[in-house]
Amino acid sequence: MVSDRTWRNLWVELRRSHLAKLGIVLVVLIVSAAVFAPLLAPHDPNKTSPEDSNLPPLGFSETKNQSTTQMVDGEIKIVQQQVEVNAQPEHPLGTDHVGRDVLSRVLYGARTSLLVGVLGTLLAALFGVSVGLIAGFYGGRVDDGLMRAADIMLAFPSLVLAIALVGIWDQQAYEVPDPFHALGITPNMPESTVVPGTVIVVVALVNWVWFARVARGEALRVRSEEYIKAARASGMRDFEWGRAYVFGYPVPFPKGIITQHVLPNSLTPIIVLATIQVAAIILLESALSFLGFSGANLSWGLDISQGRNYLSSSWWIATVPGIAIVLAVVGINLIGDWLRDALDPGIDQGEGGV
Amino acid sequence: MTEPLLEVRDLEKYFFERDTYVDRLMGADPVSIKAVDGISFDVYEGETLGLVGESGCGKSTTGETLLGLQEPTGGTVQFDGDDVFSLSRSGRRAFRRNAQVVFQDPFSSLDPRMTVGATVRQPLEVHDVGTRDDRRERVDELLERVGLSADQYDRYPHEFSGGQRQRIGIARALALEPDFLVLDEPTSALDVSVQAQILNLLSDLQDEFDLTYLLISHDLSVIRHICDRVAVMYLGELVEVGPVGEIFESPKHPYTEALLESVPRASTDERDREVETLSGDVPSPRNPPSGCRFRTRCPQVIPPDGLAVDQPEYRQIMDVRERIEAEDVDLDSAWEHVAEGQPSTTLGPIGKYLGGLGDGAEQYREEHADAFVDRLEERLVDVDLSTPHDRRVREAFRELANGDWEAAADVLATEYETVCETVQPVLQPDADHPAACHLYDQPPAEDRASTDASDGVGSIDAADAESANSD
Amino acid sequence: MARDLLRVNGLTTRFFTQEGQVNAVEDVSFDVREGEVLGIVGESGSGKSVTARSLVDLIDDPGRITDGSIEYRNAELAEAARDDTPDAVDGDFVDVRQLSPRHRRSLRGPDFASIFQDPASSLNPSLPVGEQIAEAVEVQRRASANPRSTRSRTQSFGLGKFLVGAALPGHGFLSEDSKARAIELLEMVGIPDPAERAEALPHEYSGGMLQRAMIAQALAGEPDVLIADEPTTALDVTIQAQILDLLDELQEETGMTILLITHNLGVIARMCDRVGVMYAGEIVERGTLEDVFDDPIHPYTRGLLGSIPDVESAGGRLQPIEGNVPSLLDHEMEDRCYFADRCPKAMAECLEKPPEFDGPGTEDHRAKCYLADHPYDPEDALPEGYFDRPPEERTLGGEDRSGGRAAEAQVDEVGADD
Repeated sequence: MVSDRTWRNLWVELRRSHLAKLGIVLVVLIVSAAVFAPLLAPHDPNKTSPEDSNLPPLGFSETKNQSTTQMVDGEIKIVQQQVEVNAQPEHPLGTDHVGRDVLSRVLYGARTSLLVGVLGTLLAALFGVSVGLIAGFYGGRVDDGLMRAADIMLAFPSLVLAIALVGIWDQQAYEVPDPFHALGITPNMPESTVVPGTVIVVVALVNWVWFARVARGEALRVRSEEYIKAARASGMRDFEWGRAYVFGYPVPFPKGIITQHVLPNSLTPIIVLATIQVAAIILLESALSFLGFSGANLSWGLDISQGRNYLSSSWWIATVPGIAIVLAVVGINLIGDWLRDALDPGIDQGEGGV
Repeated sequence: MTEPLLEVRDLEKYFFERDTYVDRLMGADPVSIKAVDGISFDVYEGETLGLVGESGCGKSTTGETLLGLQEPTGGTVQFDGDDVFSLSRSGRRAFRRNAQVVFQDPFSSLDPRMTVGATVRQPLEVHDVGTRDDRRERVDELLERVGLSADQYDRYPHEFSGGQRQRIGIARALALEPDFLVLDEPTSALDVSVQAQILNLLSDLQDEFDLTYLLISHDLSVIRHICDRVAVMYLGELVEVGPVGEIFESPKHPYTEALLESVPRASTDERDREVETLSGDVPSPRNPPSGCRFRTRCPQVIPPDGLAVDQPEYRQIMDVRERIEAEDVDLDSAWEHVAEGQPSTTLGPIGKYLGGLGDGAEQYREEHADAFVDRLEERLVDVDLSTPHDRRVREAFRELANGDWEAAADVLATEYETVCETVQPVLQPDADHPAACHLYDQPPAEDRASTDASDGVGSIDAADAESANSD
Repeated sequence: MARDLLRVNGLTTRFFTQEGQVNAVEDVSFDVREGEVLGIVGESGSGKSVTARSLVDLIDDPGRITDGSIEYRNAELAEAARDDTPDAVDGDFVDVRQLSPRHRRSLRGPDFASIFQDPASSLNPSLPVGEQIAEAVEVQRRASANPRSTRSRTQSFGLGKFLVGAALPGHGFLSEDSKARAIELLEMVGIPDPAERAEALPHEYSGGMLQRAMIAQALAGEPDVLIADEPTTALDVTIQAQILDLLDELQEETGMTILLITHNLGVIARMCDRVGVMYAGEIVERGTLEDVFDDPIHPYTRGLLGSIPDVESAGGRLQPIEGNVPSLLDHEMEDRCYFADRCPKAMAECLEKPPEFDGPGTEDHRAKCYLADHPYDPEDALPEGYFDRPPEERTLGGEDRSGGRAAEAQVDEVGADD
């Protein structure tokens, strides 16, 4: 389905654009962090250690004025003391207010963000593209109806809607066992990752409309192409259930003009949109966690929220996850740009204009 | 004469505009575009019938509708004895195996995301023909037969030239071994030298596989070259049908004649050839002329019995009539022209004032009516009219000086009404070379086939028809 | 004998694309006589449209005219240009390519005008047609006061004027004279009731009427040369006949010179005095209408004439030209006659060196083919299936010299992919 020309375009664009390379680097970084978190993290991210709390990151050791109450000469006095707070190499990015290692939290936090981002996008795409293709392909009243529903959804600001839905459905979270722990490679790390199910459904519900719009536009364009007429002429129906073979086993699979002709020709802008949506959903999830509406316990947004109170003193608690969000979102958007530039004006380029 | 393979009777396909929710709310009536308005013809086994006409005449829509790719608004199509529009699902499936189509645009008739092999294989998959290997073999065979090579199976359409892509389209159409092919402008998008290759290929394939063709085209030379019989369409109706030699050598219908004359010949004598060009443009299919649709441009429009007028004069008078009836004459600018020759007035936007009400204006119009009429005559009448006709026309113009369109139209209508506008001409049934024109004997009213919209397939509700789409 | 108005010498236009250099027009030379209709005929990829656009400096990135001269005879222009660019001037002839950009732009309108295939796309869909034509007229009027400066054409058309013009109809950029002239032009091109039609928007016009409007717009500057690039290709045949008649009439009335570009040999036969046939970016044959149609030299011309069905007779089997149009990519072109791989009369010498086409010349009937020099010699023919073999394996050695390809029956042969 993907022709040689596409690969070539992608490669050419990659070579040409420095930003695309940067995007790939960032995304690979983030994905590696998420996947290999148990191996990369120096500590269990949930392990608290009060005596090691508020340690600064390496290079940021400082001397602070601390006031404590002490017994001096039988009286209780407030004494200013110079305390040296030294960064420790076991906690390269410092620790938070309860002594949890910031680096480990950031690495594990990538899991949450990526899981929600990718799964949320997939769900939104599945639903949105289906709706959009049907609306665009059939047109008429079907289109009118579906698009009005979409418009109604768009009328709600996404964050407000998300909060409302999470409020209604509670924060269902699922524990997914971590393969590294299960294999015994990292016994000291958390044994499972918490996947915030509600949040995933909610972000998908909030974002499907963009996919529907794009898919509808493409479907409108494609449906008047002659190869659609040709497919009808050879007897293909618009939609039917057929079989596909997965590893030799027949599996029910949607067939027909919409899935076999319209969808493949609509993919390009959908893919570009999907990458951008992953970034948007990561931001949305962070916002929800920040506000306390997520079910996850390890999330960048959550850390920012918790670190909010310490911005003037232990600024790294909030800043490091913040930077992680920026890197992730920028990286994903750059990849989106790369895809868009490479795949636009489209795989089927016309004959030369000469 | 054997039974025809395809029998089309009173086929109709209307498109409706202004049919969305909002329009209904506003109470607007749907406007119908009568793309195909009651046509009937037969296609016999083994022949090539050409369907020719200019853009907007409905020929492509006819092709698509008779294959069931569009929902008809009325009429019947019998293929091999079966009524196409009332087939069951399995019946339809079988019909698809027997009747296929080759499309016009080689650049959009192939799915750019599918390999060429997959495209040609698709009909076989849809109809579950043979095993996977069988299908592959058949596709290889087809690719070779149309002049490509089997090892191009995994290439994508954009790697081929227009002519090659059209070959792929032909291979796809032949995959299911159909008896009947609709060729919808198969060579119009191709270069001339490639066109010749494709036409030869189509000819060979017809002989080899005993195919019947319906060739839809606007290109008369292609039609002449490959067709046995020809049907000429104008604005949704058939105006003439006949054997190719007769149609080209002795065309009956004035439109056919005009069409033939307009085609430039690639020969050195072409410069000296006198061509009588048709005036005007094709009327809108939303509002076709009454009676014979070609009458607004027909150089041989029939004057009423007993009227002493020669043909060019009559055509000129009819042109004027049509303009008046369509209210398509700019009266204001005529008044402005008249005013220009006058000593200056203190009137503001003169034309509108003069065309409007008010005593002063009326008096002005009275005084200068002759100048106005002169001006209109200058603008609208190119042919010299003999005195009685000239007088009549001027009388009509005089009514226009008062802004009275209806009266002006009446003046001319009573004197110059033609059978071409009152009675719709039809193709003579059971004739070899019928022409829908009053110049030829028309069957009496009782014998005419019904052209009622509710014939054949039940009347399709406007609500279920698609939104407007052009030919 | 009419004098030359335009002399094109060695025009070469190339496009520098991602996939390589495309030699769209290669060393094209021809002359256009005052008052004639010269036809350039060719199929897609022949370079005919690019040639036309090169003449009026409409070649944009990634294309560029890389070589050649376009000599235009215009005494007044020669005078004006002599000071700025003396090299460009040769007597009354001026090499347009060497002119300063300012002078070159000033040619559009009073000297060169063009009409294209799709009239709808050259008119702004949101402005009335009459206004657009009046605009063209207005620009030309201002130009005539100061012909070689293009600035004066649109001078004083700033935001202020625009807003004023929108608010108060009488005071905008367009003068009353221009509007009146626009209506005159519409009448000249046969649009009925021009005063009323001038107020209409383009979508209210039919295809034929739009084409007429485009011609009116082109005539606004009273050009010497009208370049018509496939003016009737998108039109129905009855409308085409009307438009061709119109062009004929206008040419007689105004005496302008027309360069007509088309792939339709019938249109050429109807309109043209002399013809140039283009293939793969080159002119392969040139002569009068009679020369080219009745006595074609180049096998491509013959092939073209033999492959078109005739509306006047059913004829026998068509004789198509086998194979496909060659790639114009520089690295894929070989140093030989570009038509050799499809030519029924290809000979060994055609591969050694591309044949010459002697200079602009006068009225001679010329062809870029060795057959112009000497008749076809079957002894020299290329062996069977020569081009079907990959380039490394092609040899001319002794075997299979049996009369070559011309001798065998015409079969639809498969061409290699481009």
